[in-house]
Amino acid sequence: MEKSILLARSNLRRAKGQTAAIIALIFLAALMLNLWLMLSMDYRQNFRRCHDRLNAEHVTMVIDGDTSDMRKFVTDTLKEDRRTAEFFLDSILHMVGSFEYNGGEMNSELIFMEKEDALSRRIGKIEIIEDSSYTKGVYMPVLYRSDDVAVGKTVELSVGGRKMSYTVCGFFNSAMTGSHNCSMCGVLLTRDCYQELEEEGYAPRATLCSIRLHDKEESEDYDAMLKDAVSARYPAARTANNTYAMVSQSRYISQMICSGIMSAMACFILIIALVVIASNIINYIQENMKNLGALKAVGYTSRLLIGSLQMQFTGIALIVAWIGAGVSYVLFPFINEMMISQTGIPYEIRFLPAPFFLTLAVLGGTVSCVVWMSSRRIRNVEPIVALRQGIQTHTFKQNHVPLDRTRTPLNLALALKTTMSGVKHNVTICITMFVLSLVAVFSGLMVRNMIMDSEPFLDMVVGEVADSCINIQAEAEEGFLTEMNADERVQKVYLYHSLQATHTGGDVLMATIADDFSKVNNQKVMIEGRFPKYDNEIVIAAKYASEKGLKVGDEIGLTAGGRQGCYIISGFVQISNNLGKDCLLTREGYERLGELENTSYYLNLRDDTDIEAFNAEMKERFGGNVNATIDINATVQSGASVYVSLMKIIVIAVLVLSVLVITFVLYLLVRTMVSNKKRDYGILKALGFTTGQLICQTALSFMPAVILSTIAGVTVCSFIINPLMALFLRNIGIVKSTFTVPVWYNILAGMGMILSAFLIACLLSLKIKKITPRALLAGE
Amino acid sequence: MKKILLKTENLSKSFSSGGNLQHVLKNIDLELYQGDFTVIMGASGAGKSTLLYALSGMDTPSLGTITFGERRISSLNQDELAVFRREHCGFVFQQIYLIDGMSVMDNVLSAGLLTDKDKKAIILRAKELFANVGISEETQNKFPAQISGGEAQRAGMVRALINSPEILFADEPTGALNSKTGLDVLDTLTRFNEEGQSIVMVTHDMRSARRGSRILYLKDGVIMGECDLGKYARQDDAARQEKLASFLAEMGW
Repeated sequence: MEKSILLARSNLRRAKGQTAAIIALIFLAALMLNLWLMLSMDYRQNFRRCHDRLNAEHVTMVIDGDTSDMRKFVTDTLKEDRRTAEFFLDSILHMVGSFEYNGGEMNSELIFMEKEDALSRRIGKIEIIEDSSYTKGVYMPVLYRSDDVAVGKTVELSVGGRKMSYTVCGFFNSAMTGSHNCSMCGVLLTRDCYQELEEEGYAPRATLCSIRLHDKEESEDYDAMLKDAVSARYPAARTANNTYAMVSQSRYISQMICSGIMSAMACFILIIALVVIASNIINYIQENMKNLGALKAVGYTSRLLIGSLQMQFTGIALIVAWIGAGVSYVLFPFINEMMISQTGIPYEIRFLPAPFFLTLAVLGGTVSCVVWMSSRRIRNVEPIVALRQGIQTHTFKQNHVPLDRTRTPLNLALALKTTMSGVKHNVTICITMFVLSLVAVFSGLMVRNMIMDSEPFLDMVVGEVADSCINIQAEAEEGFLTEMNADERVQKVYLYHSLQATHTGGDVLMATIADDFSKVNNQKVMIEGRFPKYDNEIVIAAKYASEKGLKVGDEIGLTAGGRQGCYIISGFVQISNNLGKDCLLTREGYERLGELENTSYYLNLRDDTDIEAFNAEMKERFGGNVNATIDINATVQSGASVYVSLMKIIVIAVLVLSVLVITFVLYLLVRTMVSNKKRDYGILKALGFTTGQLICQTALSFMPAVILSTIAGVTVCSFIINPLMALFLRNIGIVKSTFTVPVWYNILAGMGMILSAFLIACLLSLKIKKITPRALLAGE
Repeated sequence: MKKILLKTENLSKSFSSGGNLQHVLKNIDLELYQGDFTVIMGASGAGKSTLLYALSGMDTPSLGTITFGERRISSLNQDELAVFRREHCGFVFQQIYLIDGMSVMDNVLSAGLLTDKDKKAIILRAKELFANVGISEETQNKFPAQISGGEAQRAGMVRALINSPEILFADEPTGALNSKTGLDVLDTLTRFNEEGQSIVMVTHDMRSARRGSRILYLKDGVIMGECDLGKYARQDDAARQEKLASFLAEMGW
């Protein structure tokens, strides 16, 4: 043991630079690995913990109206169902509303609760995260806490066509109504503000049903049952609802994205670190053949020598992994802030032993395996043979690029000779550049489809986007359409209404109904087959179809409002609004199940139209027949901006990491090469080669592998990036990614990577300057 | 009157070692002439290799000047020195220093192709030189580890002469070779000198030194004296030996 320690220390002293670069790579790998494990193992659990702590609902439904008859009906319905564990009904105000957030407009079903009443709820408790001495105003979900929405500032809520200004008194946390992603958003008003809003009548009184189930897995079925029951009894009542299954997923989309990217980066860096370590050990054995022979000759066993390498690399890996995992706790608050901006659920950072020790185990284990596999050659080193042969860096099989026959310029020819004789270096470079090509192509994809122009991202993830959405009572529909068709500001108006229906024997689906699907703006959502044309046709989400083994042409049953119908699947669609549980029906098709009591119309407006003013005008013109209006663009932009900001940070982070990784890898390779070829450089300098020529030769010797692997990497990754993205986004219902691959960006990125690699290699080769022919001759 | 190839004035070289300044060469004034076979002798640590490195542009002097023709090489930077070496000098090393990863031919051409001369002409010259030193075509395509020490040193000489240097520097060229092989190498050097090649050789071996036309004796960084063997015929080895022995005895060898 003591001898192994001595050998390990000696190796470390001799290769400080290489050790530093390996430390840096392992550090980055440990950092990313621990962050990923913390996000994937514990962060998601935060919702469950928050849900449990707040005794939150498994099913929430808000029904406009709070008559005693309605309350009795709901109470009886809930009591009759054996799945109900406990429930609570409270009287609230409910209306679709909006407010400015993130530079856009946040539209949601707003649930106004009187603060004190809300804080006394038994089910779906609400906790105040930030309070103040203001006694009149509003408490907003903590998700919306920002520079603009802050304590003491004024927030304007548009409710029922009227703008209400409130002073922000504080922020609260709620599991099921704390985010627009919950499909309803809670707003707490102080008593006098609540009374004012109630008296003004812009938001009608409603009943909020908060239900806890014995088994939360049944939340979606239960929700469908309740919705059917309520719509059967009160067909005109507007409702909004959510379930544990839906909220627990939708509040963690950014966590899924971030954790996925971190897992990929952690794996990439770990692979590169392992390749570098393996290459380092193989090189060490080759260069120290004589020393190893001498050590064996004086009695060191192979096990002892391998043990010293194990101690050196695995020891470093464990210590650095410990530090890297520790430092990840310094970075975690920043990531936590980013995550909270989408989840809206505070997360208390604390030491997580499982991810920490798993990080140590993964790094220690993989490094140990690689050291063992690459150091086994030591067992074949015969002391006498090693002492006699010494360094044997050439196989003498082939003289690559013979100078008397090649037409290649001298410096390039000498660089190619080095390239051809360094297979291990080339493999390391190829793996590194291939991985980095994937990172570059991914970054390009995100820059092109999300950051520069978010339309492709929105088309794929959001689905249908128009300028305005107006929800109108069915009886006013004809008049509304006549006026819209005559209005020169309206370029297109079409029915696009969503409601829930249950797949018989399956899950609850979000059914989108249109009178003519050829009118919808986003035709790209259709990924197989065609939109429904006839009343017996249905299109379902591809992810759901694949889970249920459904094919185009199959027949499925659908239930809504107590009635059932059979439909033939005419195609598959991908929409992520309901996390891949969607279906499309024609209006006639839905009317086989029930009548539409109110309808949502999407409108494309002329570019110069003020959407907000247009929506306000519609409310005024159609009075009580307009249930809600939404500025879709503003809403989508506001929601998307969270993801765009997140992606910007991710893209910058992965690019910085890539530059670091390529620098470390090249540093290791160049350092090894300069060290191995020190004698050759001295000879060449003595013969008259300048330092510049030798630096250029060294950098050029890496270029064939860099250029080939980058071209191959960028080309292959350009083709596989969309399938990879689909795999990555499968959880949110995306099965076919249709992002535009930015060819020119990829070409430029590839060229940039090649040029950067060359420049970095040149910079790192500057060490050659210190090698003097005199040192060679003097035997220094 | 012989043409001066290299000239030094007050050439000094010092090294700092453990805070102490060691003066290895002290105010050396020297002229090297075209066509001479100059041998630098001296005891270990006398500074003969240091003088060779300074003269050949491998190292820069601490003080004084070195002039090659009209050009002061002591004021050149490292890259200019490299260009000077490739254009005007050839080197034969004690440890031979062929590059392991290159064939014998490539070792020679890597030096030859550095200059702007015609590639075909360089290959032709290489082949002529190989023939001259008795290295077969088969050996030319072998790697250094696959040939003998004598072959390697002769290949080293071909490399040194490939650019037709004005001056050939040889640092103990027979030091790593056995007696027979060393003799072959000395014969080759002598033959090249007879063909007009200027040579500066460092050695502490009397047998090698006898081949020179001018012997310089260095002691403690100072040229203590010189001996002219040029007046003796090459074949008159006995006379050369006697003269050299008496000179060295005079120098306290």
